[in-house]
Amino acid sequence: MSGPLLLQSLVLGVLLGGLYALLAAGLTLYFGVMRVVMIAHSAFLILAAYLAWFFTRETGLDPLLSLVFTVPLFFGAGVLMQRLLISRLRPATLTMMSVLLTFSIALVIEGTLGFAFSGTHRRIRLPYSGAHFELFGASIAVVKLIGFGLAGFSLVALYLLLKKTRFGQALRATMQHKDAAQLVGINTDRVAGYGFGLGLATAAIGGTALSLDSTIYPSLHWHWIGPLMAVIVVGGLGSVPGAAIAAMALGLGQSLLQIPLGTTWAQTFFYVALFATLMLRPQGFFGGRLAQRF
Amino acid sequence: MSTDAGRSLETEGLTKSFGGVRAVDGASVSFHHGKVNALIGPNGSGKTTFFNCVTGMIRPDSGTASYRGRDITRKPPHWIARAGIGRSFQLCRIFPRMTVLENMLVSVRPRTLLARIVSARQRADMERARELLTRVGIDHLENTEARDLSYGQQKLLELAGVLMAGPETIMLDEPAGGVNPALIERIGSLVRSLNAEGKTFLIVEHNMDMVMSLSDHVVVFDRGRPIAEGTPDEVRADPRVLEAYLGI
Amino acid sequence: MRSDSELVTGHGPRGGRTAVRAARLVGLLALIALVIAFPSMAPDSFILSVGVVIMSYAVLATSWNFVGGFTGYVSLGHASYSGLGGYATALLILRADVNPWVAMILAGLIVAAIAVPVGIASLRVRGASFVIVSIALVLILLLVFQSWGTFTGGSNGLRIPRPFSDDVLRPEQHERFFYLHAALLAVALLCWWAINRSRFGIGLKAIREDEDKAQSLGVPTFAYKLVVFVISAFFTALAGGLYALWFGFLDPIFQFSILVGAYMVLMSLLGGIRSLFGPLLGAVIVGYAMEFFKAQYGDTQAHLIAMGALLGVVVLFMPDGIIPALTNLVNRLRPQAASIRELSAAELAEQRREAEAADDTKEEVHR
Repeated sequence: MSGPLLLQSLVLGVLLGGLYALLAAGLTLYFGVMRVVMIAHSAFLILAAYLAWFFTRETGLDPLLSLVFTVPLFFGAGVLMQRLLISRLRPATLTMMSVLLTFSIALVIEGTLGFAFSGTHRRIRLPYSGAHFELFGASIAVVKLIGFGLAGFSLVALYLLLKKTRFGQALRATMQHKDAAQLVGINTDRVAGYGFGLGLATAAIGGTALSLDSTIYPSLHWHWIGPLMAVIVVGGLGSVPGAAIAAMALGLGQSLLQIPLGTTWAQTFFYVALFATLMLRPQGFFGGRLAQRF
Repeated sequence: MSTDAGRSLETEGLTKSFGGVRAVDGASVSFHHGKVNALIGPNGSGKTTFFNCVTGMIRPDSGTASYRGRDITRKPPHWIARAGIGRSFQLCRIFPRMTVLENMLVSVRPRTLLARIVSARQRADMERARELLTRVGIDHLENTEARDLSYGQQKLLELAGVLMAGPETIMLDEPAGGVNPALIERIGSLVRSLNAEGKTFLIVEHNMDMVMSLSDHVVVFDRGRPIAEGTPDEVRADPRVLEAYLGI
Repeated sequence: MRSDSELVTGHGPRGGRTAVRAARLVGLLALIALVIAFPSMAPDSFILSVGVVIMSYAVLATSWNFVGGFTGYVSLGHASYSGLGGYATALLILRADVNPWVAMILAGLIVAAIAVPVGIASLRVRGASFVIVSIALVLILLLVFQSWGTFTGGSNGLRIPRPFSDDVLRPEQHERFFYLHAALLAVALLCWWAINRSRFGIGLKAIREDEDKAQSLGVPTFAYKLVVFVISAFFTALAGGLYALWFGFLDPIFQFSILVGAYMVLMSLLGGIRSLFGPLLGAVIVGYAMEFFKAQYGDTQAHLIAMGALLGVVVLFMPDGIIPALTNLVNRLRPQAASIRELSAAELAEQRREAEAADDTKEEVHR
């Protein structure tokens, strides 16, 4: 294996891992505040990518500008989804029923996208689409770097929000012990709503980043949901940094395995990691303990 | 009391923490076989967590638990149940969408494959279930779905279900919680008569009247470990207990 | 109190129960007669083939309901087992020259064996990981069967020779396969019914209602869940194999599709997962609606939206399904059942429990 090739894979792995990390952080938020496995997360990701593509097609402006609309829109949609739909489910069957409910939302999104934009593969053409630069023999596409920067910036912002603000404190308290949070005066319903909003906002940002360098089509979300599920299980359902570390590790692993195995078989790495985690350490590897008894 | 025959549930240095808070902190306790034991303590002293560690619902971080000389640390709950310990839950847990009689039949333990695939409504099991339901006084409700029972009736059903499994030791988590005085009296007399038949009890309870009138042996918990034990009178007179309760 | 007990165990209701039992028997016989008569009533070969499809859905949904209905664990990926069943049947016939029917049974056993490690991985922890694994398995199998072209035929698909000789005409084929599916459905229903009334079944239902509580009463929850999961995979694989023999062609996209698994969930949930005939009823309704829409409007994205919306509505507004809803309605029409006193008692219990819960959490906080 040549040096530049290895370096190339490493860089690509890190760039991909960044996006996975952001999206996995979103999934962790839903699970943390409501114990909900949000199957529709990747459908919203693709929806955001479509919106960015549509925005660029209609206005001719840079897709990054679509974030101005999609982020607030998705945040609002997340809050509404939690308040109007998820909170209606009975606590006893919440885990299972929320999977079905979010699954049905994913189907509706996929169907609507297909209806509105047909199943044709779409791609944004940007002036800087083909641009890339060399780094010790590895070539890095500018769009990928922008996507990574977006994801990294959002992750840091999310981290600071969780660690430094009063709202973040309330959110973390709700994730760790909902009843206790209620008793110290936190309105956990509202916090859970905002947690959902934040989660969907990560999908909006991720989707825009994705639209920069990927071909998109309505059923693409199935390709994302599997790896993301694997990431949160390996990360241990319920810790944002855990999910981020697992995302990086798995993204890198996939990227490196592409060299000997090719792209298709490298994808199985996520699933192998998922099964191995559940067999060896069902509580996950990075500090999550929430999965154990829920 | 040092022979196996007299030994009941014992723990040695049992510890469990949740995110930095030590709910059970190196608790070494032993309970008396054939007696009514009580575990009391102020709110948040770790009684329920201790209970859950011992019955396998939560894995303790360190320490050991044994029952009648047999190690039960980190064994799964059903294993511990089969070793002879039955338990109730703090908020009374029953199977809501099953009938009262079906709730009782869950406790039947078939041992062979054949015994598992035969009809659940075996005459002998049904008779035993009805006997126990009569004993706790809800036999007239056997075909009612458990979710339609009153809270008091659900508590009685839970107790009957635990008895149906035939344990020699019964752990009750707040049997008097949320029920009216008449029912507390009824549960108290059930405990007394079952104890007279040889069942060991381990009761976590806030209702001091109940604890003092029922128990032979009282263990007081504070901050995740025992601080005093003895007969109800001894415990009542212990200054450390007053301190723990009143926070002096 | 006495009068209550007489109401339940006295003579009146027992007479009523015999009547209910008789009505059930008549209903069952009518159902059997309907199934037997269907092929001769079907006006053309197309309607008959729709009947086969619906019957296949009924077997799949009933098979899914072994794990869904008894334990309450929702699998979105049961297409893994039907797909594997189909492929294993086909590959045994094509690559090992096994008799088709033997191949189908063998395929069921192979898939059951595969389900053991999957079950161990996904059932040891509660809740979410089971669903996650079920979805992941479909995705991974799709990947493998598409990529491993030399063995599975890859994206081009796999053609399976017909088990009946070529001089059996198409309508005749449909009729035979309709009855074969009906027979498999009967076996699956019988097995579900037997488990439902057994001690094993009581333990499983206890897991569905409250897993911790069941375990504390001595039910070996993990082993029970695993066994019923493997049984479910076995029947699902048989259904997949039988369908493959009828349809004659396998394409990984359709075999390992999340949608197929979601249909099984939707059908079972709609009919009622706690009822023996719930999945069958759901399969008839959803299957008929799907075929109707396909015939009417062709294959559009609209069916995704419709299915998503229907699933959402069922989950939100009638998670218990049609059969329990109807039973409740019938009970409400009968005067003596569901007295107001019972209802208020249940409400009272709920209030008390909430008050208790508040006390409980106080304890946690003071810690």
